[in-house]
Amino acid sequence: MQENRTTRISFVKGHNVENSRSSDSGVSARAYSNGSWGFASSPELHGDAVKSVIESATQNALFLDSRENKGRGPLPGVACNSENDFSTKKPRLGQKDLLDFAKELDDHIERIYPELASRVVTINCLDMEKTLVTSDGSFSHSMIPRAYVLVLMSVVKDGQPIEFYRPYGGFGQFEDVLTSPDDLFDELEQQYQDLVKKSEGVYPDAGLSTCVLDAELAGILAHEAIGHTVEADMVLGGSVAGDKIAKEVASPLITLIDFANSFDGKLCPVPVFVDDEGTKAEDAVIIEKGILRNYLHNKESAASFGVPPKGNARAFQFSDEPLIRMRNTAILPGKDKLEDMIASIDDGYYLVKPGNGQADSTSEFMFAVTLGYKIKNGKISKAIKDTTISGIAFDVLRTVTMVSENTHWTSSGMCGKKQPIPVGMGGPAIKCKINIGGR
Amino acid sequence: MADARSIARNGLDSLLSAGAHKAQCRATLAARHEMNLELGEITLLRTTFDTSVRLTAIRDYKKGSSSINKSDAASIQQAAHEVLAIADASAPDEAYDIAERQPTKEFSTGHDSPDLDKMHVRIKEFLGEVESRYPQVRIMQSYVDFTRQSECFVNSNGVDFVSNNGVYHCVFMFSSKEGDKVSSFNYTGCSLRDLEKDFLDSALLDTLLRQSVEQIYARPLQGKFVGDVVITPQCFMDVLYFLTESISDSALIGETSIYKDKLNAQIANPILTVHSRPVSDEICDGYFVTRDGYAAENSTIIDKGILNTFLLSLYGSRKTGLKRSVNDGEAFVIEPGKTMFDDMVKSVEKGVLLSRFSGGSPADNGDFSGVAKNSYLIEKGKIAYPITEAMISGNMADLLMDITNVSAERTDFGFAVLPYVAASGITVSGK
Repeated sequence: MQENRTTRISFVKGHNVENSRSSDSGVSARAYSNGSWGFASSPELHGDAVKSVIESATQNALFLDSRENKGRGPLPGVACNSENDFSTKKPRLGQKDLLDFAKELDDHIERIYPELASRVVTINCLDMEKTLVTSDGSFSHSMIPRAYVLVLMSVVKDGQPIEFYRPYGGFGQFEDVLTSPDDLFDELEQQYQDLVKKSEGVYPDAGLSTCVLDAELAGILAHEAIGHTVEADMVLGGSVAGDKIAKEVASPLITLIDFANSFDGKLCPVPVFVDDEGTKAEDAVIIEKGILRNYLHNKESAASFGVPPKGNARAFQFSDEPLIRMRNTAILPGKDKLEDMIASIDDGYYLVKPGNGQADSTSEFMFAVTLGYKIKNGKISKAIKDTTISGIAFDVLRTVTMVSENTHWTSSGMCGKKQPIPVGMGGPAIKCKINIGGR
Repeated sequence: MADARSIARNGLDSLLSAGAHKAQCRATLAARHEMNLELGEITLLRTTFDTSVRLTAIRDYKKGSSSINKSDAASIQQAAHEVLAIADASAPDEAYDIAERQPTKEFSTGHDSPDLDKMHVRIKEFLGEVESRYPQVRIMQSYVDFTRQSECFVNSNGVDFVSNNGVYHCVFMFSSKEGDKVSSFNYTGCSLRDLEKDFLDSALLDTLLRQSVEQIYARPLQGKFVGDVVITPQCFMDVLYFLTESISDSALIGETSIYKDKLNAQIANPILTVHSRPVSDEICDGYFVTRDGYAAENSTIIDKGILNTFLLSLYGSRKTGLKRSVNDGEAFVIEPGKTMFDDMVKSVEKGVLLSRFSGGSPADNGDFSGVAKNSYLIEKGKIAYPITEAMISGNMADLLMDITNVSAERTDFGFAVLPYVAASGITVSGK
């Protein structure tokens, strides 16, 4: 049983274009018969509906089994129990409080930055609450929230609109994450200053270049470039990672882990304690000092590879079947200082903030860069316009020569793979060689 | 179980009882039957039922909305009261409004229920064909579904529309592998009225599978040049998405659209004409009613290169003082050109056949850059070889102006009908 609750408020240049809430809840069941799966769901939550959903899922598994005749045995399962409710303990804010919060931010931006051609302030909150029982004996109840304020600023330079977008917030309900609009004013000032520099930016020179990818880009690199490539369904589908277990795929400076719920004694942005097949969630070490160690599995692929599952089967809505997904994927920090990394480059780029990204079975990835700078003679130079970077992940990771000592987590976007799902991405800054798009 | 109209009526009545001055409700009942394909097998049969009740209220020029997926009276009543509370919390805006009264109408298309046995047979035939013709291909994360949707839109001005449709959808994702060599994954999809046609004959699937095998041995592109790009029908949707975003509410209200002053002006080469035809026979997966509650009409967005309409909602129209669009966009149909695809390629001195663009969302000014996936180098009028590690960059607005050719052949995706489109002036860079 699951309920996803969302709140969305948006102001475009002071106009309140969205003011809504939604709730989607229901029950689903998944049944397995000799290698064939059946799934069913319903928004109704009463006893008869639950019974009907279980019957329908079972019939679907039997329908498919009767035609496919795979004759495979049962999947192993280990019972586990978990209760994790991260609801705020503070009094809940109402819609008016959230509208006032967004309006105050919007008014502040309008007042302090009159040069802006446009602005968008959006509040986006998602609570995912689910209860799971399995025939293996697992029981889990969780309420995993996230809350974000998304701010887009835009200026016009030489008749062309230039924009820069930043998310503020993270794991937790709004009351625990964003206490007052004032708390964001310093970050908004930084966002504006970055936009001004970007508006005077130049096109990067297209081609292979030495770059420092700041922490947010290293996080998306870990997710897009490596994480997707080692999902077991991608591996079985022919991913280039398929022949590389126990082989060197990266610089020895690189250790990459898909964390279940905690890192360095703190909760990750999208903590998972029991996955949606009832498997206890544990950290999955993907690359250890440059050596590929593990893929990410659901129960079925884990059985096929003869390894224990670590809890990577996740579903977004009550009506979704679990897929192999990442949780919180991060490169571990190293020992270098960011300023030393920049100082070590004569001619290259310091790439700071990412946009969207995409992976591939070949491990050739791309992601957008929404803020970056040229590096000339070890110093940060001109800002660059929006661009895209790409490379063959395992080739790029072999070129890593420096890793910074800090770690930064992000979780504002959705990972797309048939269904969307929140994921955490983290990492330090890394120095590597990468293809950059430009003119 | 209640039907969509009675749920929507109940929603509307609840909103008015709760004190709404103006109100609207859209109730949707959906049943979906889906078979999942993975590695040459059907792995899962999935049946989902869902309800969506979207309630919107305006009181004292203040507006609020909420959606739930429950249809019982108590849940709707509670949601209606919440919507009024959400509305009361907002700032007043005289631009908030609902659609005017229109004649009550019921629309219907497609089948009522799926033929699961036929779906199973068609998928098995497809998997068998792929195995025999393209043994290197691995089908993954793919599905075929049938979705039956019944929807009712009512508002307090007397709008009352019911639409019923039943459509099959296919999404196929695949890559190819030989030894330790693997191709980039590719995908395509389409909507179908029925299952009469082989999947291989839909949405360029056979061509894309053949190319997937060729792409196992793709070569890194060397060097950098400015040349032509021949964009496949599937990939041209990325250009249409940029166009759509740029002429819709957010970009026009926020005044960030590069097209804000371009209505009735030339924004593309005159050989490009783009229609949005949600209620055309050419489109089996369109829509009958807009998000605002107007009966959808077909429109021409770009007429021989001229921007003919924006895609503004009722609110967007009031905020900008411009005309409301007669539809919500999508359901794109592009007029065919006079040149066959092979001749388009022959006219390219140096360029890229762009099959999939993996890149960042274009900036507001149209600048884009990304990786040319599943693509080929074109040299001296011939498709030379499949390429990898090739980045392309340019500007969407320039690309529309620099279109050099539109193919005579078009691909019917069910939700769109699109040709190949060629353009000049794209920067291509390799290793």
